[in-house]
Amino acid sequence: MVDLIKKNAKSLQESLFSSVGSAVLTIATTYLVINFFRGMLGFALTSDKDWLAVLNNMQLYMVQAYPEEDFIRVWLSVGLTFVLAGLSIGIWRSDDRVKSSQVFNSFFKGGLGVLFFTIIAPTNASFMGNDGSVITEEVFSMDTRLGILIPVAVFCVIFFSIRFINVKFTVNSSDMVFFYLFIPVALLWFVKLPTIQLDQNNERIIPDPVMPIADTTKIPWTVIFVSFLVSYFIGMYLKSIKSIKSIMSLSWFLLPLLIFSWIFKKPQIDMSVVLGSDLPIFGVFLLWGFLVITFVNNSIFKKYYSTYLGVTFLLTLVGVFSGLPMLAKTCLLLIALFSVVVPAVSTSSQGKRSLLIVWAVALVTLTFLLRGGASDTGIVVPGSSIFGGFSLTWLLAIFGTYVSFPLGVLLALGRNSKLPIIRIVCTGIIELTRSVPYITWLFFASVTLAVFLPAGVEFNLIVRVLMVTAFFSGAYFAENIRGGLQSIPKGQYEAADAIGMSPFQKISLIIMPQALRAVIPTLVSSAITAFKDSSLVTIIGLFDFLTIGKTVIGNQSIPVNFVGHDRENLIFVAIVYWIFTFTLSRRSMKVEKKLGLGER
Amino acid sequence: MSIIQTKDVKKWFGDFQALKGITMDVAEGEVLVVCGPSGSGKSTFIRCINRLEQHQEGQIIVDGIELTNDLKNIEAIRSEVGMVFQSFNLFPHLTVMQNITLAQIWVRKKNRAESEEKAMELLERVGIPEQAQKFPGQLSGGQQQRVAIARALAMEPKIMLFDEPTSALDPEMIKEVLDVMKELAKSGMTMIVVTHEMGFAKEVADRVMLFDEGMLVEENTPEEFFNNPKSDRTKLFLSQIL
Ligand SMILES: Nc1ncnc2c1ncn2[C@@H]1O[C@H](COP(=O)(O)OP(=O)(O)OP(=O)(O)O)[C@@H](O)[C@H]1O
Ligand SMILES: [Mg+2]
Repeated sequence: MVDLIKKNAKSLQESLFSSVGSAVLTIATTYLVINFFRGMLGFALTSDKDWLAVLNNMQLYMVQAYPEEDFIRVWLSVGLTFVLAGLSIGIWRSDDRVKSSQVFNSFFKGGLGVLFFTIIAPTNASFMGNDGSVITEEVFSMDTRLGILIPVAVFCVIFFSIRFINVKFTVNSSDMVFFYLFIPVALLWFVKLPTIQLDQNNERIIPDPVMPIADTTKIPWTVIFVSFLVSYFIGMYLKSIKSIKSIMSLSWFLLPLLIFSWIFKKPQIDMSVVLGSDLPIFGVFLLWGFLVITFVNNSIFKKYYSTYLGVTFLLTLVGVFSGLPMLAKTCLLLIALFSVVVPAVSTSSQGKRSLLIVWAVALVTLTFLLRGGASDTGIVVPGSSIFGGFSLTWLLAIFGTYVSFPLGVLLALGRNSKLPIIRIVCTGIIELTRSVPYITWLFFASVTLAVFLPAGVEFNLIVRVLMVTAFFSGAYFAENIRGGLQSIPKGQYEAADAIGMSPFQKISLIIMPQALRAVIPTLVSSAITAFKDSSLVTIIGLFDFLTIGKTVIGNQSIPVNFVGHDRENLIFVAIVYWIFTFTLSRRSMKVEKKLGLGER
Repeated sequence: MSIIQTKDVKKWFGDFQALKGITMDVAEGEVLVVCGPSGSGKSTFIRCINRLEQHQEGQIIVDGIELTNDLKNIEAIRSEVGMVFQSFNLFPHLTVMQNITLAQIWVRKKNRAESEEKAMELLERVGIPEQAQKFPGQLSGGQQQRVAIARALAMEPKIMLFDEPTSALDPEMIKEVLDVMKELAKSGMTMIVVTHEMGFAKEVADRVMLFDEGMLVEENTPEEFFNNPKSDRTKLFLSQIL
């Protein structure tokens, strides 16, 4: 043990104090860092800060004004996501194992972090009083300091010395996810927090009484955790079913749509319209797609394929300006685009089968969306947007990436296409979207977009924002991916051709995996940018996470007066943003490492 | 009976004519070596045979199927013709095993176990069964080229095309690749080999051809080609490289 410490000390000395210059640099930086954190802690702890302005407004932060009687929809959505996640982790359960020493080491490091902050925290801090005078007060008494220091030090020593005792075991890395999630959920049941209580005169009782966390928070989370765990075991059990993986992928694909319609609408479905118009249209287009898929490589049909394409596009053009129902118009557009892709994919019976499935799913989704989306909103909320806060930020980020990434892949491929029309259209879309600032697109979504949509179709502001966001970040994704495509040598295409792969197989098995791998860092930074840029929606009157903290809570006076407490909220918002982006970039580094295997 | 027939094949790159009417045929089981100075159109010609390049005039008939714009014909021919490139062109994101099984699984629609068995068999044939789970980037050039040969053989082609398979290799690795090719030639595979390895040509070729400026200058048996060439161009070429 002494040896180990000596060795560490030596390497520390070598890396930090190797020369006079680096020693000075090390000391100066340490001094700056410590003072920075001291200042932050002192700032956070003075008595003029009211952190309950954050804690008491969690609901506002999460969903803004979403009606409380419909909360069950939100919980169900979160729960369903966790169930799917549990199933997937079970099905794709990795065989990687984490060593016990790694786990202990991370506990040890965490403890060290807490120790560090406890030691450097200032005893006194000052703030500006209401009358402009500087008030200095004790913020961190010796008793509190020791009260934290001693147990945490013991904790650190235990996890440091455990490696010298022969405790060695490994844990499956998938299981660890549940362990780490278990800690906060269990804490919900034990932690007591100061809670705002009002007396009969509606005056806040000070000091705030310390109370357990509300049942409306801890019960749902516990239920969700349990279902997460249960579905994990079910997933492991289902692993052996043959096509389970493709079913899961499809479910993930459909989940956002389901959640979207759940949270957004109480669809009022008019059966006569469904039977009289939706189903026949659905059937006709399903048949049309089926015929195209079946006969596309038939030699007679092939001869006239370009004629067929031309006629279809012409029909679409006429159809869009005619009085056809919305569903038929959209389907026409879809079949025209679909027909362009089919010849390349439909070369084998397997390709035909998957094409047919894709086509059917696309039609079902479209029908569902148009029917559900066009019905009146059943959920009534004051203001222009149905919900805000973190849900909105999250929705914009997830849904934005979810739609814009595949769109980006398609646009990138399209821009490299041999067919001039496709190339020109894709280049046009990319250049047009990128050349206009995001804020302009947001105004376009809120003010002008309605003009471009066919009469009778009205989308909620959030949906319109999602539409422009998908294109905007899709264009950026497309350019990134195109960069990746250009880095693939010509020999890779030729080798794939030479072993007889179809164009579709060549792109999806050889070219895309390599191109995407080459651009993961840029893709992740695009995703992070999209996540943070979602706060710009405040400018068109949507209440995202940041706006709730800064504007809404900062001006809140009923039932509790929080006016002027926006600094605490801004810090909280910043920390949450940081946690998410940091996790994302960490994850991507791991993925990169994993995929980098092939490179020397 | 000839398995490849070309009639007056012509090919332009823009204004530049790379092939100026090539007429030849290859019999089943024959090993044909193509040589000629740099830029003479050797690569262009054999790449036309599996449609990596498109010829503009003339006819190419492989195993009774004519190469036209018909995608079906192109795919049919490509699955009969294996190709080995100068720069290997292995797929760097897949293991050696996956490189070899990929086409069997996706193009031939075989199941995984069957394809892996076949892949192991081929890796043994080219002498590197122990490298199956490595990535191409972790192999030497000679090993990579042998994997590339195994990958092409996995499609069970009737014809193999080699475009200077040893030009990018260090001298000590050339032999290991040539040995694999000799063994392949002896097993009765139809081969067209573009190479500067005259030793290989003397030992295994049934016929040798000389290309110059997009034309087929000489076509002869190896003995006649090296000892008693018909054209002066061949004499000049031989004097330069031997
Ligand atoms: N894609 C292309 N575009 C334009 N010109 C080309 C292209 N490919 C080949 N050429 C030209 O065609 C001619 C024949 O090229 P080819 O690669 O067939 O020569 P080669 O006989 O294989 O030579 P080497 O021994 O150097 O490989 C050369 O002059 C070359 O510059
Ligand atoms: Mg060449």
